[in-house]
Amino acid sequence: MPNISFRVKKKYHLYGGASLTFLVVLLCLLSYVYMPHGPNDMNLALRFTSPGENPGYILGTDYFGRDIFSRIIYGSRSVLLVCCLAVALGSVAGTLLGAAAAIVKGPLSAVIMRSIDGLMAFPGILLAMMMVAAVGKGQQGAIVAIAIFMVPPFARLVYSLILDSENSLFIKAAKSYGVTRSRLLRKHYLPLLLPRLITQFTACIGAAIMIETSLSFLGLGVQPPHASWGLMLNEARQHFLQYPYLAVVPGLAIALAVLGFNLLGDGLNDLLMRRRS
Amino acid sequence: MDKLIDIRNLTIKTPGGRVLVNRVDLDMEKGEILGVVGESGCGKTLTAKTIINLLPENLSWEADKFEVLGVDYLTAAARVKKALVGDRIGYVPQNTGFYLHPMIKIRDQIADGHILYKKRTPEQALDKATRLVSAVGIRDAPRLLNSYPWQLSGGMRQRVNIAMALMNNPALIVADEPTTALDSTVQKQVVDLFRQVNNDYNTSVLMISHDLGLVKYYCERILVLYAGQVMEEAGAEELFEHPRHPYTKMLIKVIPSLNIKKGEKLHEIPGHVPDLHQAIAGCVFKDRCSYRQEVCGREVRDQTIGSNHIFRCNFDL
Amino acid sequence: MLNYIYKRTSHALQVLFVVSIITFAVLLWIPGDAAQLMLGADATPERLEALRTALGLDRPWYLQYWEWLKGFVHLDLGQSYLFGQNVSTLIAQRLPVTLSIAVFSMLLAAVVALILGSLAAIKKNTAIDYFSTIVMQIGSSVPSFWIGMIFIVYFGIRWQWFPVAGYVPPQEGLLPYLNSIALPSIVLAIGEVGMLLRTVRTSMLDAINQEFMDMARVKGLSSFSIYFKYALRSAMIAPLNVMGLQFAKLIGGTVVVESVFALPGIGRLILVAVEQRDVFLLQGLVMFVTTLVILIALLVDIAVMFINPRIRVEMQGE
Repeated sequence: MPNISFRVKKKYHLYGGASLTFLVVLLCLLSYVYMPHGPNDMNLALRFTSPGENPGYILGTDYFGRDIFSRIIYGSRSVLLVCCLAVALGSVAGTLLGAAAAIVKGPLSAVIMRSIDGLMAFPGILLAMMMVAAVGKGQQGAIVAIAIFMVPPFARLVYSLILDSENSLFIKAAKSYGVTRSRLLRKHYLPLLLPRLITQFTACIGAAIMIETSLSFLGLGVQPPHASWGLMLNEARQHFLQYPYLAVVPGLAIALAVLGFNLLGDGLNDLLMRRRS
Repeated sequence: MDKLIDIRNLTIKTPGGRVLVNRVDLDMEKGEILGVVGESGCGKTLTAKTIINLLPENLSWEADKFEVLGVDYLTAAARVKKALVGDRIGYVPQNTGFYLHPMIKIRDQIADGHILYKKRTPEQALDKATRLVSAVGIRDAPRLLNSYPWQLSGGMRQRVNIAMALMNNPALIVADEPTTALDSTVQKQVVDLFRQVNNDYNTSVLMISHDLGLVKYYCERILVLYAGQVMEEAGAEELFEHPRHPYTKMLIKVIPSLNIKKGEKLHEIPGHVPDLHQAIAGCVFKDRCSYRQEVCGREVRDQTIGSNHIFRCNFDL
Repeated sequence: MLNYIYKRTSHALQVLFVVSIITFAVLLWIPGDAAQLMLGADATPERLEALRTALGLDRPWYLQYWEWLKGFVHLDLGQSYLFGQNVSTLIAQRLPVTLSIAVFSMLLAAVVALILGSLAAIKKNTAIDYFSTIVMQIGSSVPSFWIGMIFIVYFGIRWQWFPVAGYVPPQEGLLPYLNSIALPSIVLAIGEVGMLLRTVRTSMLDAINQEFMDMARVKGLSSFSIYFKYALRSAMIAPLNVMGLQFAKLIGGTVVVESVFALPGIGRLILVAVEQRDVFLLQGLVMFVTTLVILIALLVDIAVMFINPRIRVEMQGE
């Protein structure tokens, strides 16, 4: 039974997620317009300035005297761009594979879906690490790794949605008119799939940020001297026992970004469910 | 005679203020079989659920008097009500769903209430369960007790439900549409079982049904509910011989009799149960009533005929 | 029943086969082959050629794959050029560390999720439900390496409750052992608990609304047996399945946590293999870990079948 407080809670998912996501996007846009200091500008005289100590460096400086606030702003770029690009690539590939498997059927479909199962069987970040080993460290490696990681969820979603809807009347009717496959896909399946794909996309960005930052943290993603939140934490490892503030802000930024996309995904999902019922 | 149930002016509301059950009176005496009939949504199940302390949490009820087996529900603590229902009232649910846990063997769920309230050992309880399961007409009781509920047919499951309701020798059995979704031959067996229990143990039965035909033969007294209100109340024979309320008359007409001629139209009651969102002025049945007069939109009165035939209508037709 | 086990096992084997192909193919793609990496950039072509022949790298890929697969089946995972040791030996040395924190954190996450998730479902829309929602969201959005660093600062340095790095094997005393894996396990568990909590809450809510719960209430049973005997039993299936899947994620997650806490486990080995592009080591590690994960998922599936009598008997009927 639907009751009022439940609804309020779900709406708060959507709004909370949307505003956090908006904040990350804003930060990313800001990096092209304004940063207090260059993200890689070193000021060795001002090493390890604590937050609040120097008004020019509100979040303090790191080992090289670089401004943490600027690096956080700049780091949003690599998070957002790498993750969005990677998930976009993965979702397109996954959607096409899933659709192909669902429509073509036969042995090809079996091969595709078994490969997807195989990709999914790799535990967590292991597949991404293996891809990095093959492609090489750095941004490209991270993008390829995350993109491949994102193929299976989309392929499975599209595959099951198409198979489920295949028995619905309007698809049967369309087939009986002799509609071509590509038209079927564009005009009939896509409107059906799109809302679910968007929800999935949003939720996957959260997971992608987690992988990207993990890779950077392990030193396999974005390479120094570039700024990325995971890399900042990696660099903080040497000194955070004396200067814990080094680890606080980048970690918080990651957590809030992931939280934002997760909440947005949840909220969109609820919206979708409610609209359908 | 002892009053088993004494309810005055029971009203059940949703949080939004919809009145689902409106000032219902319900009495039951010891050893009686009382039938409550009405279309779905008329409030008969909710009334029964209040008695067995199972009203959904978002609904609220109030009454001027609400006594069941000597316990005053208006003042009793939750644990007292729970113990009363567990110890002395049996519940036989509708057969459409799974009131037995699908992952637990019947032997492990038929007797847990019995063990708790009658302070028996599991062996004693199992012994009693075996006897009761045989008594409700199951031949191979040990095998049945070792099965899972979903391995049984609907009729078998309902017999298990009845045996479970009987475990504590209850003073009262509340049966909510106990025969729905059963084959008609099984239906008769199940209701015969209630009759037999009533005879053997003098257990009272509150039977809720939308099937007047069934109620007619097994109940001593019948309550007709419509849109949360009592329309008519009388002894079974009296009600069928001399129905007074237009709604009861229509219900009786609706019972499909065996001698329908081919091509003859089946009767139905025109219209729908009214929306209970707004308080209804006057008679709740007026929109579907063919005897409607102008006065029905303003008020409605209760009339009593003889000692215990009550009906709510402005006319006596 | 046997039929079900057979079906699940054969599916697992198919997946494993695909995994082996993917692993092999991806690592074949690494620029510069193993011989080049071993000898360095200034090796003479003659020596390279000789090593290639010795390693069998001059043969076509399908033969190489076949040899490798044969070795894998016989538990021979090849040689690490970095360590100059058998990959299986290296794994055997480090497996206890990784398994310890994985199992321990899974237990932690399961206990917390079960208690908190059940309470959240029973007391829906109360403070405890909101609290569990917050735990759920935080658990799944806060990166484990960050929590690890924070924990080291507070629990390790400031308050000195736990050692901050290193691993003590259980042979050297149970308490030091538990102490050494406590922080990593908790950190890992925080990442796992969210998803599990959500599943427990959902399936518990589902169970509470089942009709058999009405019956349990009418029987006047204690809240404890209503929820634990009746509700939890049917609510356990989905979380158990999720736990099987989560264990996989967990093993992946140990890479990061082992790195933060400087634990000599499989995860660290993987990281070294990736950084140094030790192809044979990486192939062996990936295959081993993935096989482990698939095996655990399979065992969980079969265990769930035993718990859920409906599947069991339906399968017998087939």
